[in-house]
Amino acid sequence: MGEQVETSESGVMGQSEEVTAMDETIVEQPSTGAVFTSFVRREINTAILTGSFIALTLSVFAVVVGITLVGSGFSAGYITTVMELLTPLQLLVPVVAFVLGFNAILSDRRSGELDVLRTYPVAAWQVVIGVYLGRALGLVIAIGGPLVLLFVPIATTSTPRLPMYASHTGADTPILYLRLIVLTLLFALVMLAVAIALSALVSSARTAILGVGLGLILILFGLDLALSAGFSIGFISDSALISSLALSPLSAFRGLVLEMAISVTEGTGPETASPVASLIGLAVWGGGSLVVATWALKR
Amino acid sequence: MDKRSDDTSGDGEHMTSTQTEQQTVSETAADSTVLRATDIKHSYGQIEVLEGVSLELHEGAVTALIGPNGAGKTTFIRALAGLHAPTAGEISYIGPERPRQIGYLPQRPAFRPGQTVEQALTFYASLVGLSGEQALSALDTVGLLDAKDRDVDALSGGMKRLVGIAQARIGNPPVVILDEPGSGLDPEMSLHVFQSLNELAADGTAILLSSHDLALVEETADTVVMLDDGNLLYHGSPTEVIAEANADSLLDVFRESRQAEAGTVSVRGVTDDG
Repeated sequence: MGEQVETSESGVMGQSEEVTAMDETIVEQPSTGAVFTSFVRREINTAILTGSFIALTLSVFAVVVGITLVGSGFSAGYITTVMELLTPLQLLVPVVAFVLGFNAILSDRRSGELDVLRTYPVAAWQVVIGVYLGRALGLVIAIGGPLVLLFVPIATTSTPRLPMYASHTGADTPILYLRLIVLTLLFALVMLAVAIALSALVSSARTAILGVGLGLILILFGLDLALSAGFSIGFISDSALISSLALSPLSAFRGLVLEMAISVTEGTGPETASPVASLIGLAVWGGGSLVVATWALKR
Repeated sequence: MDKRSDDTSGDGEHMTSTQTEQQTVSETAADSTVLRATDIKHSYGQIEVLEGVSLELHEGAVTALIGPNGAGKTTFIRALAGLHAPTAGEISYIGPERPRQIGYLPQRPAFRPGQTVEQALTFYASLVGLSGEQALSALDTVGLLDAKDRDVDALSGGMKRLVGIAQARIGNPPVVILDEPGSGLDPEMSLHVFQSLNELAADGTAILLSSHDLALVEETADTVVMLDDGNLLYHGSPTEVIAEANADSLLDVFRESRQAEAGTVSVRGVTDDG
């Protein structure tokens, strides 16, 4: 991207620098921030302000509200809702990230727009980050919006109502629910990066859904299974298990929610995950995926 | 006029003050070179699609790439546009420094659905620091300003191509490369596009286009390059090429070069080279 053809370093360059009519509209290379803004605006126009995105967001809202209602209901409080939502979110979040991300790079490659973009002074990493930021905005709305809206009925109907907001252990506090939202969004952003990397790696429509879908399943559930198998055959020791969970984004997310939004209410008990290792694991998955996507774009 | 890839006209040579008029012409051509491709070869696996093609693009000139289907035109164009590295040979951009050096129109231009023509062009314009208004002025040059509010996915193939041509001009690149800009356009619009490209060239831009509309090429191109089986068969002005081939028109040149294979498409690696 942006590298185009070899630019001569020889003195020949000077010969063509004389002022001609072409110089009437001299343009300047925009800043990286301006490039990102352009891509985000494009993603908003083409991927967020669409009927299918609205339908996706409404579906997520229906699912989280439905799960809460079928479970203990809004009045059961924050911690109960967190526990009831944790398992469905482990499936729902990757699916939504997949829906938003799998076509992000692939559609431009298939349409030939990636080729056109290569003739602009835009680096591959700028394309990847720009597309990612735009889709991330959509993902935050699609996942975060319904979860934030769900906060309203819980806050107004949960009993007993809290006289004050607090984060000390043992209390059913909205902070625990807010932690779930933050951790879910973090997990969603990581899964979006993975989906975009897979989208950049596949090259044809035929392999797209299959490749991206299989890739996500392998990364999500394959790694979880591998960790379970490693533990059961003794490859992963008891002491290393908590940190090893960080290798799988799904396990890292689950561990973070258990540790920071559920176990914390009990005050004591066995450690379920290493928050630091899990955060590092998610950061590596997210950052690494964007690096892979950039590499795939340069191929 | 050159035949078979030995085209360079005095490049790299330094003339003395006692040069002839012909030498002056050669030097001017060499000075105005903005893109130079030397001995370009390209293979897809074992199939060699380009077999050592050399070409220079000069500012202010329209160069037309012609040849039968499968001759290697698109492969050559994509290499010149920097979209893939050739298997062998060298491509050097030696034009003025600009954020966007080469404008490119793909053979089948497409835009992300869900945006208007204006939004699509404004996006590209923003990548070179231009405003939406300047994007619209590019749209105006192809006569499609009235369609600025139309969804790109609601455009006809021809209109999409025109928007693609407007996109290729964004950022005032010194070189504009267009893969079949007239394809899918009615004759009047096709003529309009070629004329607008001539106007762009008159402003100093080097234009390279591929086309099967040989009458239009003969009428508007400064230089014609004919590829056949991955080789540069003819290279010169339309008049020179026609004279060299002892033909009456570019169409005749094309027909005569394809006489033995009329009605067939040469498939590289399958069709017998002999």
